Amino acid sequence: MSVIFRFGAEGDLTAPSEDRLAVGDPRVVDFLGRLARKLLAPAVARKHPELGSLGYFLRPAELHRAVSRMQRDDALVFPRGNVFHLPPANVDTIFVYSWALSALAGNHNVVRISSRSAGAAEVILEALNAVAAEADPIIARTQRMVTYGYDDAITGALSKWCDLRVIWGGDAAVNTIRKLPLRPSARDLTFPDRTSWAMLSTAGWRAADLVARRNAVVGFANDAYWFDQAACSSPRTVFLVGGDGDSVRAEFLSLLLEVVDARGWTVDPAMAVEKRVNAYELAAIGAAGALDFPDNRVTALTLTGTDAAPRRWIGAGAFPFAEAGSLLDLVPAMNRQDQTVSHFGFTPAELREFGTALGGRGVDRIVPFGQALTFGAIWDGYDLPSEFTRLTVLQH
Amino acid sequence: MSVFTLSQAAKEEVLLKELSSLTAHHRLNCEPYDRILAASGYQDAASVADLPWLPVRLFKTLELKSIPDDEVFKVLTSSGTTGDVSRIYLDKAAAAEQQRRLAATVQTILGPKRLPMLLVDTKAMLKDRRSFSARGAGVLGMSTFGRDHVWALDGEGLVDLDAIRGFLAKHGDQPFLIFGFTFLVWLHLYEVARDNGLDLSNGILIHSGGWKKLIDQAVSPDEFRARLAGVGLTNVHNYYGMVEQIGTIFLEGPSGGSLYCPDFADVVVRDPETWAELPPGKPGLLEVVSTLPTSYPGHVLLTEDLGVVHGIDDGDWPGKRFSVLGRLPRAEARGCSDTYRSAA
Repeated sequence: MSVIFRFGAEGDLTAPSEDRLAVGDPRVVDFLGRLARKLLAPAVARKHPELGSLGYFLRPAELHRAVSRMQRDDALVFPRGNVFHLPPANVDTIFVYSWALSALAGNHNVVRISSRSAGAAEVILEALNAVAAEADPIIARTQRMVTYGYDDAITGALSKWCDLRVIWGGDAAVNTIRKLPLRPSARDLTFPDRTSWAMLSTAGWRAADLVARRNAVVGFANDAYWFDQAACSSPRTVFLVGGDGDSVRAEFLSLLLEVVDARGWTVDPAMAVEKRVNAYELAAIGAAGALDFPDNRVTALTLTGTDAAPRRWIGAGAFPFAEAGSLLDLVPAMNRQDQTVSHFGFTPAELREFGTALGGRGVDRIVPFGQALTFGAIWDGYDLPSEFTRLTVLQH
Repeated sequence: MSVFTLSQAAKEEVLLKELSSLTAHHRLNCEPYDRILAASGYQDAASVADLPWLPVRLFKTLELKSIPDDEVFKVLTSSGTTGDVSRIYLDKAAAAEQQRRLAATVQTILGPKRLPMLLVDTKAMLKDRRSFSARGAGVLGMSTFGRDHVWALDGEGLVDLDAIRGFLAKHGDQPFLIFGFTFLVWLHLYEVARDNGLDLSNGILIHSGGWKKLIDQAVSPDEFRARLAGVGLTNVHNYYGMVEQIGTIFLEGPSGGSLYCPDFADVVVRDPETWAELPPGKPGLLEVVSTLPTSYPGHVLLTEDLGVVHGIDDGDWPGKRFSVLGRLPRAEARGCSDTYRSAA
């Protein structure tokens, strides 16, 4: 099984290196800043809107903010060392976020890029290589992206090489890769299966004007459709909170269809059948009491209770709805698997009360509609810059 | 005796009545099915195309049966490539009826007497009778319509030319039945007959199993017929059927090119955007209906096959005539859950 180098200097991935990068190394900041400019080029951002958000994340101002968050008064901060990333195949941009933060922390990185990567991932790799040509060669020597098959010999060797292994891709991937041992001093950063929800205040909806409602739906539609509702943070079930949800739901769905129309998004027949199968299954087990198929692009299900909300993917454009009296009523329905709650129409006090009541037992992000997919340095409950660094205590 | 007798109008009148009462029967006896129909807001059907269809894949994920556990006589499973298999529950009556109707259907072309039968397959495939695969079920189901069976392939799956020659020497001057999967017939019978000058002109071929592998080799259904005719095999009938509607097969007519629906079954081609029925000539997703599924709610099924109706009441036999065009590709989503799948 051979390794294909997609980025970086070819050679033995696990060989010792004399190269040293610092936390917030200017050569890395310079490189990432150039990459950001490439990704923010209008032609790229138009074709792949998700690369626009990535480019924004990599702007120098953002990078300096991230670096300053890595610094501490009580310890010297250093790179963690060697970091091995195993990002998911199908969310094209995740690998860049994870890698860029780690590079910014000064680590030597190896990223395994899936052979099934396509579209935006290819655009990113092209941009990376174009930028590398003008950057300090230490970047290419210390930052490598490779593609290889499901080869445990290679994964095993990289696992023994690294100080931190970053495993995306859900429970199955985490469990599979964990069978390969790390060095005793190394550890895993895991991103298991997650579920995300949308919560809509019916009172807040009624109080909003049509423009605000439409903007909310545009944000929700981006969150849901960009990754076929299959990213960890894509909202699936919509909880209508505050009572009298029927009319709100009807207006929400009709605006959603308008937005989907305007974007020209389509759902192919195979996906439509997939959604039927899943919707019928939920009806058959008594989890959904009513099914609506207004259009292949939107499937609406009425759940029989908040605890009936499915935690598995049920298709692109499939929206179960459930009603709850208040956000606090939803607290018992949340668990450790739940990642993002995207919200509309709640007061800051309501959201804080909800987050506090959850007590860290579930839900890592509570963000407005339209921000569900926006990656941040704090992700899945981890402070990534702190995960990617190592601390030396110095007392005089 | 034929089961291809009813004009489309007459058939739809009968089917609408029988399938509607089957729908009511299954709602009473299969709670998950009743929940699906209730959640979909199903009322009554005014036409066959109005009847509530189930995606065929549901039989892979749900246990759908309309009989108590102690009346389950046979559980059929489909051969799945993805690991999921359909489970079809038959009671004694349904098992007997499906065999009877299948017999009536093939006797339309074979006549009432059992014919000597050449099976283009290997006996080894049947070894494990408990894993009742679709291929095994197909071969076993068909084999009851023949006698003096000879397998054209040996235990290794290689052509047993001596066995075929022996069969032809004994039975080749009288009508005989050949059965096999389309691709196996092409590879292991047509080519062997052509290369060895075998005389198959008294054979009646019944074959099934999809065209994908042949189309990969650039062999169209028309060419398949033409090339078989070249080795004397002119009596050729393709059929389409699935374990989820066991006993119902859609059979190619004598002049070829179209599949026909027996009196107790029909097809509806649906627009995959609007899900409305499409007129002849417009390809879409194929729905199959049959009155045979009495022990499980499989009487109205949306397949994942694409098809087209060519005409109605205008062919070898009355009713709709149609073709299967291929499979709908599986839906694939982007998503976070798929990094690494090895057997570490």
